[in-house]
Amino acid sequence: MADVTTGQREQGVPGEVSDASGEVPAEGEQHTEGMPEGMPEEQTAEEQSGTTLDQARAQIDRLRLSWDHLKRLLYLLSLTRHVDERLETLYRQGKLPGAFYSGRGQEGTHVGAAYALMPEDSLFPTHRDLNAQLAKGLDLKRVMAQFWGRIDGYTRGRDGNSHVGDWQGHRTFTAISHLPIAYPVAAGAALAYKMRKEARVALAICGDGATSNGRWHESINVSAIHTLPVVWMVNNNLFAYSTPNQLEFPVPTIAERAGAYGIPGVRVDAASVLDVYQATRVAVERARRGEGPTLIECVSLRWRGHAGHDPAKYVPKELLEEYMEFKDPVKRFRELLLALKVVSEKELGGLDERIAKEFDQAYAFAQASPAPSPADVAKGLWAGDGYWENEPRREGGPGGVGT
Amino acid sequence: MSDASGPTPGETLPGQQGAEPGPEAATSTSRPGTTEPAATEPAATDASDTGAEAGHGAEPRGKRTEQGEATYLVAIAEALWEEMERDERVFMLGEDIGVYGGAFKVTEGFIDRFGSQRVMDTPIAEDTIVGMAIGAAMEGFRPVAEFQYADFMSSGFDEITTTLGRYHYRTGVPLPVVLRGPSGGGVRASNFHSTNPEPWFAQAPGLKVICPAFPSDAKGLLKSAIRDDNPCVFLEHKWIYRRIKEKVSEDPDFTVPIGKAAVKREGTDLTIVTYGAMVHRALEAADDLGRDGVSAEVVDLRTVYPLDEETVLESVAKTGRALVLYESLRFLGIGAEVAAVIGEKAFEHLDAPIVRLAPPDTPVPFSPTLEDAFLPQVQDIVKAAARLSAW
Repeated sequence: MADVTTGQREQGVPGEVSDASGEVPAEGEQHTEGMPEGMPEEQTAEEQSGTTLDQARAQIDRLRLSWDHLKRLLYLLSLTRHVDERLETLYRQGKLPGAFYSGRGQEGTHVGAAYALMPEDSLFPTHRDLNAQLAKGLDLKRVMAQFWGRIDGYTRGRDGNSHVGDWQGHRTFTAISHLPIAYPVAAGAALAYKMRKEARVALAICGDGATSNGRWHESINVSAIHTLPVVWMVNNNLFAYSTPNQLEFPVPTIAERAGAYGIPGVRVDAASVLDVYQATRVAVERARRGEGPTLIECVSLRWRGHAGHDPAKYVPKELLEEYMEFKDPVKRFRELLLALKVVSEKELGGLDERIAKEFDQAYAFAQASPAPSPADVAKGLWAGDGYWENEPRREGGPGGVGT
Repeated sequence: MSDASGPTPGETLPGQQGAEPGPEAATSTSRPGTTEPAATEPAATDASDTGAEAGHGAEPRGKRTEQGEATYLVAIAEALWEEMERDERVFMLGEDIGVYGGAFKVTEGFIDRFGSQRVMDTPIAEDTIVGMAIGAAMEGFRPVAEFQYADFMSSGFDEITTTLGRYHYRTGVPLPVVLRGPSGGGVRASNFHSTNPEPWFAQAPGLKVICPAFPSDAKGLLKSAIRDDNPCVFLEHKWIYRRIKEKVSEDPDFTVPIGKAAVKREGTDLTIVTYGAMVHRALEAADDLGRDGVSAEVVDLRTVYPLDEETVLESVAKTGRALVLYESLRFLGIGAEVAAVIGEKAFEHLDAPIVRLAPPDTPVPFSPTLEDAFLPQVQDIVKAAARLSAW
C-alpha cells in the first residue's frame, strides 16, 4: 500500500462530478434535512456513524477520487486538527501572543471546500477558516510566523493569528474581523473573472452569524443579478459567538434563503468531508460554466468558544458530546479510510507522527524568524513606497513560498 | 455669491426636488451618442439643457463652451472618458451611472461608448459597491466607483476604512480604487446631501483624499487618482459643478500631482489656507480685502491627505498670519490639522494667533437662513482677516 501522501496537492481536480444536468446530488442534503434551529434531529446509530461503506464507495467512484486524493484529504483533515490542538495548547500555556480562533469540528467544511478549488481560484475566508487556508496551500511555517508576529509571517507582523492570507501566491484573501466583509470583495473578484471571460471561481466563507448582516444579502443579490462565478459558503457552526441559530434567523435553514435570490441553495452535513467536497465541486463547476452562484450551508458545531478566552458554556453539554462523538469530520474520515482499507492503522500512526514533526519544524521556524524592525512601523502603507516591493526573499519566507 | 449661494435658476438637485424617489427631471433632451428613444425621457428642466454651461460626459470636448472652457463637471467627465479610453482596466460602477448617466449626469453617454460592463449599474448597496471595486482591483482592474452623494459613503464606510485603506499595509497588495462622490453644501440640499466627509477618510489610514476646487485641478487630479496604485477618495464639490469654468488642458496626459497644494492668489499680509468650494469664497473675500488695502494669499490644498505642509508653511512664513478656512466641521476638521501644523512648525513666523473659520459642529441645516449661518460667508472671511490684520 502506498504511503499516505503529505506532498503538494495535485494540480486540478478529478473529472467532472456532476451529471450532465448539473443537478446537485442529494447526498449532501439528506442528513440534515428538517433540522430546525440547527439542533440535530433524532438519528439512528447507523445514520450517526455516517453513510454505509457501499454508499461511500459509490460516492467516491462518482467523484472519481483516487486513493491519492483520499489520502490528501486525510492528510489535510489530520493536519488542520493537529495544528488547531497544538495552537490551543500553546495559547493556554501563555506561549501564543494575541488571539486564537479554533476551527475544530469544522474541518469537514474547510477542507472539503478548499479541496474543490483549483489553484487559480480564489478563497475569501474569515478568521475561523485557517483550516481552509492551509488546505488551499498556505505554508504552515509562514502561518506560524504570522501567529508570532514575525517578519516571515504572511503579513510581516502587521496582523496576527488567522487574519492571514496569501493573495499573491495561493489566492486567499487576508481575513478581516468585520463580517462578512469579504463577501462583497469576492463578488468583485468574480466580476473580474466574468469580465475577462476567465474560467475561474471565487469562494467566500462566513459563519452563520454573518448571514444577519446586510452585506451578506447584498453580495448574494448582486452575484445573482450578474450571474457571477462565485460560491457562497456558510459555515453554520450553530452559534454566532454565544447566540444560537434560532436567535439569528427566523427560517429553518440558511440554505433556503437562496430561493429569495433565485439561486440554488444546498445544506450539507459537514461531518462528511466528501459531502462538502461534492456540494462544492458541483457549485464550482456550475460557476465555471458561467451559470452563476450557489449558496452552500455546511452544518457543524463549533467545538470551542469564539476565541481562546471563551469557555463556551452556552453550548449545551449534550450537544457538544453528540457532535464530538458522532459528527467529528476527522475521526469519521479516518475510520472510513480504514474501513475501505485505503490506509492501515500503522500508516495512520505514521501520518500523525509526520504531521507532529511538521508542526514542530514550523514552530521552530517561527521562533527563529526575526521580529519586524520598529523602524519600519510606518512603511508599507502606500503602494510604491518600496516596503513590500523590496521584500527580502528568504528560505521559506516571503517570496520563497512552497515546501 | 456671498449672500445667495442658492441653486442657480433651473438647477435641479438629484433627489432633492420633486417626488422622491421618482425620476428626477434632470435629463438632457439632446444627448449626442445616446441611442435610447427620446420619447422615454422625462421632461427636461436641468440647467445643463438650457445654457452655455450645458455639459456632461457624452462627448466631453464637444460640451465645452465655444471658447474652450470646461465646467468642473465637464472636466471630471473628460478625465473619466480619457482614462477609460487609455486603459481598458479602468471601469466604473455605481448607482444609475449607465443609461441614466449618473445622479449629476457626469457619466452621461459613457454607456454608449464603453458598454454596460465597463459602466456598470449596481443595486443600491454602497458597502457592496466598494467591496466589489476592491475585489476587481485585487484581480488587476482599476475601478472607479461613483456615489450619488458623498453623504452615502457612510453606507460604504466599513469596506472603505476597514478593507480598502488597510489592505496594502497588511498584505502588500495594491488596490487602485477611486471612489467619487459629490460633497459639500451651499446648494440647499439639506442634511443628507451636503456633507463634507473628508475628515472621516483623512483619518482612516491608507486613503488619499482629494478635494479640488477648479476644473483643471479636478481633471488633472482625477486622472492622477485613476493612475495611482493606491485608493483615492475623490470629492467633487457639488456647488462647483456647473458654476465654475475655465480653460482646461486637452492633453490626454495632463495630470495634476496628488498631495500638492497651489497658491491661487499671491499676497503678502495674510494667508488663507482652504480647499473645495471655500477656495472661491476666499478668492472673493481676498478681492474685497484688496480694496481695503489688505493683501491676502490664498492657498488651495487641492489634496487634503496627504497634506502639502510645505506649501502651507512657506506661505505662512511669508505673510506671518494664517486664516484656516474649511467646510468640514470645526472640531477635528481638516483645518484643525492645518492649524496644528502651522502652530507646530511655523510658530516663529507668526505675528498673530491662527484663526479658524469653519461651520459649527452640527448637521448641515436646510433653511437658507440656517445654511448661510452654518457655512462661512465672504463677509465672515473678511471680518476674520481684518481681525488678523489688526495684530
